[in-house]
Amino acid sequence: MSNIIFRQVSRQFEHGGKLFPALAEFDLEVRDREFVAIVGPSGCGKTTCLRLAAGLDFPSGGSVSVGGVEVRGPGPERAVVFQQFALFPWKTVADNIEFGLKSKGLSAAERQARIARQLELMGLAGYETAFPHQLSGGMQQRVAIARAYVLDPMVLLMDEPFGALDAQTRTLMQEELVRLSRVNPRTVLFITHAVEEAVYLADRVVVMTRRPGRIREIIDVRSVREAEGWDRVERIEEVMDQESFVHLRTGIWKLLREQQT
Amino acid sequence: MALDSRRSGALVGVAAVAAVLLAWYLLTSVTGFIGPTRFPAPGEVGAALKQIAFDGYADGKLYQHVLQSCKLILMGFAAAVIVGVPLGLAMGFSRRIEAFVNPAFLLLRPIPPLAWIPLAIVWLGLGDAAKILVIWFAAFVPSVINSYTGVRSIDAHLLEAARTLGIQKRRLWLEVLVPGAAPHIFTGLRLSLQAAWTTLVAGELIGALQGLGQVLNVAAQDIYPAMILVGMIFVGLCGGGMTWVLGRIERYAMPWRRA
Amino acid sequence: MAPYPEQAELSGREFWTLSFLGLLMFFGAWSVLALSGLMPSMFLPTPWAVAERAVELTFHPFAGYTIQVHLISSIGRFLLGFGLAAAIGVPLGLAMGWFRWLDAAVTPLLEAVRFVAPIAWVPFAALWFGTGIGGPTLIIFTGAFPPALINAYRGARFVEPRLIEAARTLGAGNWRIIVEVLLPASVPSIVAGLRISAGLGWQSLIGAELIVASSGIGYLMVKGQSSISTTTVMSGMIAIGAVGFAIDVLLRRLQRRIEAASGIGE
Repeated sequence: MSNIIFRQVSRQFEHGGKLFPALAEFDLEVRDREFVAIVGPSGCGKTTCLRLAAGLDFPSGGSVSVGGVEVRGPGPERAVVFQQFALFPWKTVADNIEFGLKSKGLSAAERQARIARQLELMGLAGYETAFPHQLSGGMQQRVAIARAYVLDPMVLLMDEPFGALDAQTRTLMQEELVRLSRVNPRTVLFITHAVEEAVYLADRVVVMTRRPGRIREIIDVRSVREAEGWDRVERIEEVMDQESFVHLRTGIWKLLREQQT
Repeated sequence: MALDSRRSGALVGVAAVAAVLLAWYLLTSVTGFIGPTRFPAPGEVGAALKQIAFDGYADGKLYQHVLQSCKLILMGFAAAVIVGVPLGLAMGFSRRIEAFVNPAFLLLRPIPPLAWIPLAIVWLGLGDAAKILVIWFAAFVPSVINSYTGVRSIDAHLLEAARTLGIQKRRLWLEVLVPGAAPHIFTGLRLSLQAAWTTLVAGELIGALQGLGQVLNVAAQDIYPAMILVGMIFVGLCGGGMTWVLGRIERYAMPWRRA
Repeated sequence: MAPYPEQAELSGREFWTLSFLGLLMFFGAWSVLALSGLMPSMFLPTPWAVAERAVELTFHPFAGYTIQVHLISSIGRFLLGFGLAAAIGVPLGLAMGWFRWLDAAVTPLLEAVRFVAPIAWVPFAALWFGTGIGGPTLIIFTGAFPPALINAYRGARFVEPRLIEAARTLGAGNWRIIVEVLLPASVPSIVAGLRISAGLGWQSLIGAELIVASSGIGYLMVKGQSSISTTTVMSGMIAIGAVGFAIDVLLRRLQRRIEAASGIGE
């Protein structure tokens, strides 16, 4: 069971002697193998949420647990994909992907097999010995995802992973992520600014309020997706054209608009 | 267009160098405007070079002086780097270590390496040991500072990624901290090498049995400007040569850097 | 939050405690070594013996003058050499950055002498100037000149092309561009270069004074060494370090003020 449970989580930051609340009364369960996207206005604390689940930060109040175990620190079972890729510039693509794998005590042969599979899966075959700076943004992010995936983590935490990519690459990556998660579903917490991206990728979308971030509403996308058969449609732009999609998207936009004032 | 300007730039450069050489020749050999006790003529320099290379000067042939100087440099430099780089990395990574070591470091750092020469001579006499000690100090400080900066300059996201990927401490040092700080470490090495040469020459000027600085010293006492110039040229060549080698090592050690 | 716990900033108390302990260890180790008799007290005096001597030197002349007079002598030479290096290096660097032909002409000459350590000029300095003020000034100049030049050059050369293009489209001629765009844009680089220049100049001064001087801090130390007065030598080292530090702090403050005035920085 690999679910993420946020129980009455609050997080405050101290700056110049004053306390700034980032999250307040945050209750959420990301169920086993569910894809949950969090959207919200800037500064609403959605990245903080992810960092708490990752163990890169700790709550001021409440608790965060993954798979029933309280989060005490970062680890490979909760793999993180960063917006800025965070690839080690001095390592090749293959070495980057292997990085977390080396601490798992697998034989070299097994490691190589897993890496090869990831390269194939992410369309990186042939780039094993390339260095990050030689790759485009989209390719680099694929390596970052591969690096996380290869560890077969319980939970995947993605912090606006496509934010640094241009629009076309972004769309391609979204299609790929959908393909991957339908084929091999796992628990995913996905942070994004882009409402369309959230509706396209997620099973549920969590809409957050302005700071201090609370949950405004949780929208069930999956039931609509399955009922309307979006997955039967090939292209992302056609999915996004569907009336049911537009309806959901507009609804969420409106919720976010409310937060502006 | 660009190629033209580069070629014309190179031509101007060559012309400038030629002009200076010509002026040198005219002012010394031809007109005697600059007397031989002030600055040597080109011919004299050639003669001095031949002398030191084949007959020897200041108790040794040219290659012996060069070897002596280079030997001391390498010993002091290596010893300084082996201690300085890990220390700098540790100080950059661990706030505790930084807080503990920093006061002593701040006290010693403003003292120019050359200022250690008299003390080194008091402690160790006029031999090689004193010079190695001072070279060590000269090379030590830039190594520490730059390694420290190097670790601090590593993107926090990389460290977070390393942590989320669950690696042990030893791997963190070898696979993340050292490569991450490598560009700065090499800058530090270059500065250390420069400082080492300056310190060595100064030390040898003051007192030595052999070495390029010693050559300069004896030549000054003999009022032999041509030999002084030969000494200076070889100081430059050796320093430049070592720097070039360091550059090659740097290129080899960091294959991921775009050119 | 810092990625690793070792990197987390220390609380004020922990920081000062560790710093104090570190300082204590330093002076403690020194004192213990000095008192233990492992080295003759001539060679390694205790910290307080050095302090005593330093104070003594302020009213009791050594090698001709009191320590402060030596210092003034050194600082005077430094200012002369540094001033010259700045006065020649900065304009020349700027000009080289702006006029490519000048860059092409001068750079090969500078590259040729680049690897000759400034201290190697001492024999010529001695030959030309004896122990007069010219000698150390030359050495300081050779040390302080390159950074002043290079940083001024970089400042001028790497001004954002967009700024110059904008100035041109707004109708400014060459002269105005140099004075109103190039110069202000180069100031941070120039100031940074002068800071490095001052540091190197001060270091070179000491080297020069160890060999070709008849007054000054370096001279004081050499005399101290030949009389095996380690306390004197160490007093000299402290004085040099203190002045060098002060120069750097002053220039850093100046740098910050200039950067603020020209709108650079945070």
